[in-house]
Amino acid sequence: MTTIDVDELVKVYPGGTRAVDGISFHIGQGEFFGFLGPNGAGKTTTIRILATLLRATSGHARVSAIDVAAEPGRVRERVGFAMQSVAVDPLATGRESLELMGRLHRMSGIELRDRVDELLELMGLTTVAGKYAGTYSGGMRRRLDLAAALVHRPEVLFLDEPTEGLDPQSRTALWDELRRVRDRGTTMFLTTHYMEEADELCDRIAIIDRGTIVVSGTPAELKRAVGADTVELRLATDGSDGLAHVHDEVARRLEGFEPLVSFERAATGVRLGLVEAGNAIPGLLRLLDGDGVTVRALTMSGPTLADVFLRHTGREIRAEEADQAIELGWWG
Amino acid sequence: MTALATFGHDTVFLGRRTLRRFYRVPANPISIVLYPLIQLVVFSQLFKEIVQLPGFGGGSYLAYLAPGQIAFTVFFAVAWSGSSLLYDYRNGYLDRLRVAPISRYAILAGEFVPLFVECVVMAGIILVLSVLLGAPIATGLPGAIGVVLLGGAFGVAWSGTSFVPALLTKNEQATSTLSILFFPVAFMSTAFVPPTLMPDWLRIVNDWNPISHVIEAMRSLMTVGFEPDILGRALVSIVVVGLVLHTITLWSFRRLTN
Repeated sequence: MTTIDVDELVKVYPGGTRAVDGISFHIGQGEFFGFLGPNGAGKTTTIRILATLLRATSGHARVSAIDVAAEPGRVRERVGFAMQSVAVDPLATGRESLELMGRLHRMSGIELRDRVDELLELMGLTTVAGKYAGTYSGGMRRRLDLAAALVHRPEVLFLDEPTEGLDPQSRTALWDELRRVRDRGTTMFLTTHYMEEADELCDRIAIIDRGTIVVSGTPAELKRAVGADTVELRLATDGSDGLAHVHDEVARRLEGFEPLVSFERAATGVRLGLVEAGNAIPGLLRLLDGDGVTVRALTMSGPTLADVFLRHTGREIRAEEADQAIELGWWG
Repeated sequence: MTALATFGHDTVFLGRRTLRRFYRVPANPISIVLYPLIQLVVFSQLFKEIVQLPGFGGGSYLAYLAPGQIAFTVFFAVAWSGSSLLYDYRNGYLDRLRVAPISRYAILAGEFVPLFVECVVMAGIILVLSVLLGAPIATGLPGAIGVVLLGGAFGVAWSGTSFVPALLTKNEQATSTLSILFFPVAFMSTAFVPPTLMPDWLRIVNDWNPISHVIEAMRSLMTVGFEPDILGRALVSIVVVGLVLHTITLWSFRRLTN
C-alpha cells in the first residue's frame, strides 16, 4: 500500500526556472524514503508541494490517497513538516509552542497535555520546557521543531534537510529520534545532501538532480550497481616533476588490466576504481612491481553514495551555488 | 465545529501567541503607555490657543484634541504592525502555521489581535488622561467605551496599509517606509483643524476621508451625545476601509503561497 503517490510532477517558477521537471515516485506506508541531491536540485520544491505549501504547475501528488491540490486541508490534518529553516518562536516556551500546534490541530485538555509531555520527554526537552525557545541550542531547536511537527501524530512526516547546520553529535542524536518516530509507524520522507544521512536512515532513496530523478533504489542496490571499489595508492616520488612521471609510468603498466574501471591522478599517488578489488590487488601489485614505482601505502574502500551520485550525474554533490532568495523589498 | 467556530477558535489561540510575543518585549508595553502620554501632553500645549480661532466655537480644547490624538496613535500602531508577520515569514514560522489545517485568514486575524489591543490601550490612556485634565464625556462610560472601540476597530481596518506593503515587499524597511506614505491621510484629516478652517479642496477631500469620519464620531460622543448619523458614517467608513484593505491583504497573503 502506498502512502505517497507522485505522478509527472512539474514546477516552473515565474521567471521560467523548471525546479521540478516531471518527477514520479511512490512511497509505501511506513517506509523511510529519501531524496538525495545537491542544493537547487528540486528537493525542497517537491517536498513543499507535497506539504501543500506550494502549488505544482502540472502533474499530481497524493498523500494517503488525497490530492494535495484539490483538498489541501485534509492533507494538512495528516502530515507533519520539519523545515530546513528551524521554525521556532523565540519568545514562546517549548511547552507553549507545542500546545499551540496541538490547539491548531483541534486537540485540547488531557489529550493535549499528555501528548506535549510525551513529546518533550521523547525529544529530551522536559527540563527546558518552561524556557523561551530563543534560549535553546541549535540541536534543541531542531528537536523542538520536530516535536511541533509531530504533535498531532501525523501519518506522514516530511523532513527537509533535518540535520543541516548541526554538529556531528546532535546529528547522530537526531537520527536516533527519527528512527524512533519511524518505528511507531510514521511514513518518512526526507531530503538531504548528506550521503551519510541518506545511507544511515533511508530504506530507499532517489537521487535527484536538476529537477529529475536520476536513479532510485535501496542504498545497498545503488552502491552495488556502481560495481567498483576504490583503491588509493600512495606512491614514492623523487624530484618535483617526479609525480607526473610516476603517474604516467603507473598508467602504462596498468594498461589492459581487466578489473580496472577508472584511473585518477591524485596529489600523493593514484586513485583506482577496481571491480572486486580484494581479488584484484595481488595482480595489481605484481604489475606495478619494478624500477621507478614504489607503493608506500594502499587503502581500499567500498563504493559510497558519493560514487553513486558521481556515476549518475557526472558531478560531485558538493557544488555550491549563490542562488538563495533575497528580499530587497520590491514587487516579486 | 462550524467554519466560523473553528475560525474563532484558531484566532483566539494564534492571537494569544502574537499578544505574548508583543508584551514579552519590554519596550512594547512601555512605549504603548508612554507614547500616548507624551503625545497628548505635547500637543495639548501646542494647540492650547487654537480653540480661540473663530471656527472652533471656543469649546473644550481637550475634548476637541483627544479624538485626533487617538487617530494618530492608531496610525502609528498600524505602521509598526505588518513587520512582525515578516519576522515569522523569514524564520519559517509562517510556513509552520500554513501547514496546519487552519484558514489562511485566521493567521492574519491572529496578527490583528495585538494591534487591536495596542490601539485600545493607547486610546484608553488618551481618553482617561483627557478626562482627568477636564475634558467632558457627554455620553458617559458607554460613550467612552465606544470611543476606544472605534479606535481599535479603525486600527484593524486600516492595518492593510502596513500588511499589504509587508506581504508584497517581504522586507521590513520597505514596510515601514511605505506605510509612512499613508500618514498624510491623518495630517489632512480633521484631527487638528475643523473643516471650516480648511481650504475648499481639503474640505472636499475630508468628506471622503475615513479617519475624519471616525474622529468626528468620537468628538460627538465626547461633546454632544449619541448622534446616529455621525456614528453611522464612522461605522460605514470603518467597514468599507476594512473590506477593501482586508481583501487586498488576503490576496497579498495568498500570493506568498506560489
